[in-house]
Amino acid sequence: MSHAAITRRAAVGMLAAAGAGFALFGPRPDSDRAARGRLVIDYWEKWTGHEGRAMQHIVDRYNQSQDRAYVRYFAMAGIDQKSIVAIAGGNPPDIIGMGNFSVPAYAESGAIMPLDDLAAAHSITPDRYAPAVWPMLTHKGRLYAIVNTCGALALFYNRAAFRDAGLDPDAPPRTISELDACHERLVRQSADGRLERVGFLHMEPDWWTWHWGYYFGTSVLTPEGDAAADHPANIRAYQWARSYPQRLGVERTLRFQAGFGFYGTPQHPFLAGQVAMTNQGPWLANLINAYKPDMDYAVAPFPVHDDFYDPDQPAGLLDSDVLVIPRGARHPEEAFRFIAFTQQPENVEFLSAAHCKNSPLATSSADFLASHPNPFVRVHAAVASSPRAFIFPRMRTWEQYVAEFNAAMQRIWRGNAEPAAALAAVRRAGQSQIDEARAAAARRATARAGSSGGAGRGPGSAG
Amino acid sequence: MSRAANHAGPATDRFAGQRIPPTLVGLLWISPWLAGFALFMALPIALSLAYSLTDYPLLESPVWIGLDNYRALFSDPLFARVLLNTGLFTLMYVPASTALSILIAVLLNQRVPGLWAFRTAVYIPSLVPVVASAMIWLWLFNADLGLINLALRVLGLEGPNWLGSPAWALPALVIMSLWNIGQPVVVYLAALQDVPRPLLEAASLDGAGPLRRLWHVTLPMISPAILFNVIVTTINTLQVFAIPYIMTEGGPDNSTLMYSHYLYNNAFVYMKMGYASALAWVQFLVVLALTGVLWFASHGLVHYRAA
Amino acid sequence: MPAQRPANPREQPLPGRNAPLARAVILALLAAVALCYAAPLVWMISTSIKPEEQAISRDLRLLPDPPGSTPAHAASNYSAVWTDPSIDFPLYLRNSLLVALLGVTGMTLSTAVVAYGFARIRWRGRSFLFAIVLATMMIPFPVIMAPLYVIFAQLGWIGSLKPLWLPAWFGGAFHGAFNIFLLRQFYMGIPKELDEAARIDGCSHWGIFWRIILPLSRPALAVVALLYFTYLWNDFLGPLIFLNHRDQFTLALGLQLYQSKAGNTPWNLLMAASTMVVAPVLAIFFLTQRTFISGVAAEGLKE
Repeated sequence: MSHAAITRRAAVGMLAAAGAGFALFGPRPDSDRAARGRLVIDYWEKWTGHEGRAMQHIVDRYNQSQDRAYVRYFAMAGIDQKSIVAIAGGNPPDIIGMGNFSVPAYAESGAIMPLDDLAAAHSITPDRYAPAVWPMLTHKGRLYAIVNTCGALALFYNRAAFRDAGLDPDAPPRTISELDACHERLVRQSADGRLERVGFLHMEPDWWTWHWGYYFGTSVLTPEGDAAADHPANIRAYQWARSYPQRLGVERTLRFQAGFGFYGTPQHPFLAGQVAMTNQGPWLANLINAYKPDMDYAVAPFPVHDDFYDPDQPAGLLDSDVLVIPRGARHPEEAFRFIAFTQQPENVEFLSAAHCKNSPLATSSADFLASHPNPFVRVHAAVASSPRAFIFPRMRTWEQYVAEFNAAMQRIWRGNAEPAAALAAVRRAGQSQIDEARAAAARRATARAGSSGGAGRGPGSAG
Repeated sequence: MSRAANHAGPATDRFAGQRIPPTLVGLLWISPWLAGFALFMALPIALSLAYSLTDYPLLESPVWIGLDNYRALFSDPLFARVLLNTGLFTLMYVPASTALSILIAVLLNQRVPGLWAFRTAVYIPSLVPVVASAMIWLWLFNADLGLINLALRVLGLEGPNWLGSPAWALPALVIMSLWNIGQPVVVYLAALQDVPRPLLEAASLDGAGPLRRLWHVTLPMISPAILFNVIVTTINTLQVFAIPYIMTEGGPDNSTLMYSHYLYNNAFVYMKMGYASALAWVQFLVVLALTGVLWFASHGLVHYRAA
Repeated sequence: MPAQRPANPREQPLPGRNAPLARAVILALLAAVALCYAAPLVWMISTSIKPEEQAISRDLRLLPDPPGSTPAHAASNYSAVWTDPSIDFPLYLRNSLLVALLGVTGMTLSTAVVAYGFARIRWRGRSFLFAIVLATMMIPFPVIMAPLYVIFAQLGWIGSLKPLWLPAWFGGAFHGAFNIFLLRQFYMGIPKELDEAARIDGCSHWGIFWRIILPLSRPALAVVALLYFTYLWNDFLGPLIFLNHRDQFTLALGLQLYQSKAGNTPWNLLMAASTMVVAPVLAIFFLTQRTFISGVAAEGLKE
C-alpha cells in the first residue's frame, strides 16, 4: 500500500513535471520564427482545409515577393464574432476576411476602416469588377472592404437521375412550375415508404433561408430599408417552399433529411443521389471532383417564377467574401499592400479557381474559364453579371433579421406555421430591430453633438 | 508582509513601540482576495448595473437610456423563450438528477463485490471536459449512426432524431447531463456513510425493512446534504451554457436556447452590452431569489442534527 | 503515506442481513448503472481506433475489423489529429498546460495566504468579510462575464492568456471562494498550540504560515490544486470569451473548433481528439483518487 503510494506520488510528480516542461518549453506558433524581424501582419480568415491552403498559398507568394512585411494567416470558424470581440478588446488583427453581409454592421459601428483613399492609391476601382460586386464592398457611399472571392448560386442537377426518372437531361427546369414537375417525377421511395430520392428540397442546404422570394421577383427589404418579409411575393414563395414537405409528408421528409451527410463529405445528398437538384454555389463542383468525379451532372440558372422568367436575365444570389481592415489595426498601410496584392488578376483567378468559384473581376481570362474545376463556371459567371443577380441586403441588423428568417423557415418547413403569419412575425421583429438601430444611431448622434469637445470617451471605457 | 504580521502576537512582539493593529494585519493577509474581489467581482457587478441602463454596442461608447433595456425585456419574445427553456430544463434536470444520484449513492453504499469499479464508472464521466462530453454525445445522439439509435434499433425501436427535433432536443440534453452526476453521488455517499449505525439498527429491530429504513431514517438524516445539493444544482442549471451552445447552438427552432447563451449572444455576438447587462441582472436576481426561496421553504423539511 | 488523510471506513453496509437475493438484485442494478455510465467513454475510444468507414458503419463492434489492425488504425488516427494543421494540437496542449501551471500555482498560493488571514488571525470584520467570500459563490459567472471582458481589455490582457490565469493569483477571484473556505476549515483543525510554540521561538505570522501551517496542510492544498486543475482543464466559457487569437486557444476551445459547423471532421478523428483531451484528467484522477474524492465530498458538504 505504502509502496503503491510512493510510486503513485512519483508518477504524479513526473506527470506534473512533464506538463510543466511542455508548458514552458513546448511548441510555439511556428510563424513567429519565420517572420524574422519583419513587420508582422496578422490576417484572420474563416477558411480551413483546402480553401485555407489556397489562401495560404497567396500569402506565401506575397511573403516571398517582398521582405518588409510578413503576413501570418490564421483560419478558424466563427471568425466574424471572434474578430469583433477582438476589435472591442483593443487587440485586433490587421486584416479580417469576412462575409460581405457583415460589412454594414461593422462599418456603422466604426469597427472597420474606410478604404477609399488606400484603394485609390493602389488604383482599385469599381470598373475592374463585375457590376454587382462593388455594392457589396461599400456602405453609405464609402468603401470598407475589398473582394476576395465570390460565387453565384445556380441549380446543380443530376443528369443520371433525370434519365432514370424519364426526364430529358438536357432540359433543366427554367421556371418554378417546371421545377415542381421535375421534382415530382424524381421522387422515389422504398417499399416500406421511406424516401430514397427527391427532386429538390429547399432546406438542402439550409444556408439561405431568406432568399426564396427573390426568385419570385421580390426582396426582403423595401428600397427605403424597411423590412418586407411578408411582401405578397415572399408569402407566395414560402407557400411554395412549404408545399414540398407537405406533399412528401413532413415527418418522412425530416427523417430523410436527418440521414443526409454533411457538406464536404462523400455522403453529401447531391453526391449520394438523394437530392437530384440543389441550389448551390460553384464550389459544389470541387466536392464532386473530389468524391464522385464521374458523376453525370450539369448546372443551370435557378428557376424563377413563371411570370418573372427571362432567359437573358438569370437570377441568383451573388455571395462574396471580403477583406477588411479593423479599427485599431497596427499597420493598416502595410495590410492594404497585401490586400492590393490579392487583387492582381492572376492572384484573383488562382484563388477563384482553387476555391472553385467564378471570378469577381469584370472579365475572366480564357484560360481561367477553360481550366476551371467547375465545367459550368460560365453559368455561374452569367448569373453573377446578370442584372438580376442579387446580393445580401445591406442592413446593420442583418444578423438578427436572418435569425428570424431561419427560425420562421424551420416552422414553415415543419408545418408549424402558416407562411403568411410566420413572415408577418419576421417583418415585425425585423422592423423593430431596424427601428431600434435607427433610434440608437439618432441617440448617439445627439449624444455626440451634446458632448462635442467634452470628455472624449473611448470605446469600452471601463470607468 | 511578514514583518508587519509579526505584531499580532503581543507576547512576543519585538516591535512593541509601533504595534500594528490586528485588523490591518488581517486585511493585509487577505489583501490578494480583497484586490481580486474589488477588481474582478465588485467592479464588474457595478459596471454591469451601470451598463444595463445604457445603450452600449461595445464598439461605441455607452449612451444613457434609463430603464429602456429592462422595458425591452418584456416585449422580447426570445427573452420569454429562454426563460421557458431554462425553466423547463431545470425542472426536468434537477429532480431527475437528485433522484438518480441518491439512488446510485444508496446502491453504491451496499456491500457487494466490485464496488470500486462501479464507483469509478459512475464518477469518471464528471471529469470529462464539457467540450469532450459534447463531442461524445453528439456522436451518440446522431440520428442515423449514433450508438443510442443503433441500440434502440437492436431492440426493434426507431429512435428519434434527437438533437435535430425541437421536441427531443431538450430532453436529449437532460439525458446527457444525467451522465455527469459523479459529484452529487460522491457527496450523498459521504452523507450516507455518516448516518449513525445505531439509528439504522434500532429501526431494523423495530421491524423496518430496507425501503422503510431508507425513507424514514436515511433520507431524513441526509436531508441537509440533499438541500444543499439541490440548491447548488439549481443555481448551476440555471446558468447552463456550454452543452447547448456546443451541441445545438440553441436550435432547432430555439428549442434549446438557454438564458446564459442568450446573454452571451447579446454581449458578444450582437454586441448589445447594455441589453446583455440587463439580462445579467435579471439572472442574478432570479438566482438570489430562488436560493432564498429554496432555503426558507425547505427549512421545515430538513432534518438538522444537533451539532 | 504520511501526507494522506486516513481512509474513511467506506465499506459500511446497511445493518441487517443482506440476503443473497437482495445482493444479486443490487449487483445487477449496479452493473446496469455502471454499463450506462461507462458506455459513452468506451464508445468514444472504440470509435477513435476505427477507420472512418467502420466508425460510421451500423455494426456494433468495439474493435476494428480485423481486431489485429487496432494498433495500426489507432496510430494513424491519433497521429492524424496530432499533426492536423486545422487544430494545432501540440500548441493548444501547451497553452492548456501553461494556463493550468500558472493558474493552479496562483490559486493554491494565494488562497493559502488568504485562508490564513481568515483562520489564524483574530481581527475585527473577519466574519463579515468571510461571509462575503462565501456569498460570492452565489454570483453566476455569466452575470460578470461581459464587464470582465471590458476590464481585461482596459488592462491590456485581451490577446494573451492572462485572463485565464492571472485572476487566480488574487485569492482565486471568481473561483476561489470555495478553496478559501476549504483551507480555512483545514487550518482551523490544526492545533493552536503549534502557533504558540512557534511564537515563543520568535516566529512571525509569515514564519508560522510558511513553516508550520503550509507543510501540515499539504493534503488540503493538494485538493485545491487538483480541483482547480480539472476546472481549468475543463473550462470552456472563459477561453471562449477571452481568447480571440487562434495561437492562444486551449485544448477545450481547439476541440470545439475541430468540430466545425460544417461538420467536415470525421467522427473517428473527433473521438481521437476527445480522447486526447480526456486522458490527462483521467490519469490524474486515477493517481490521486483519494485526495480527489475527499475534496469533492467536502465541496458538497460545505454547510
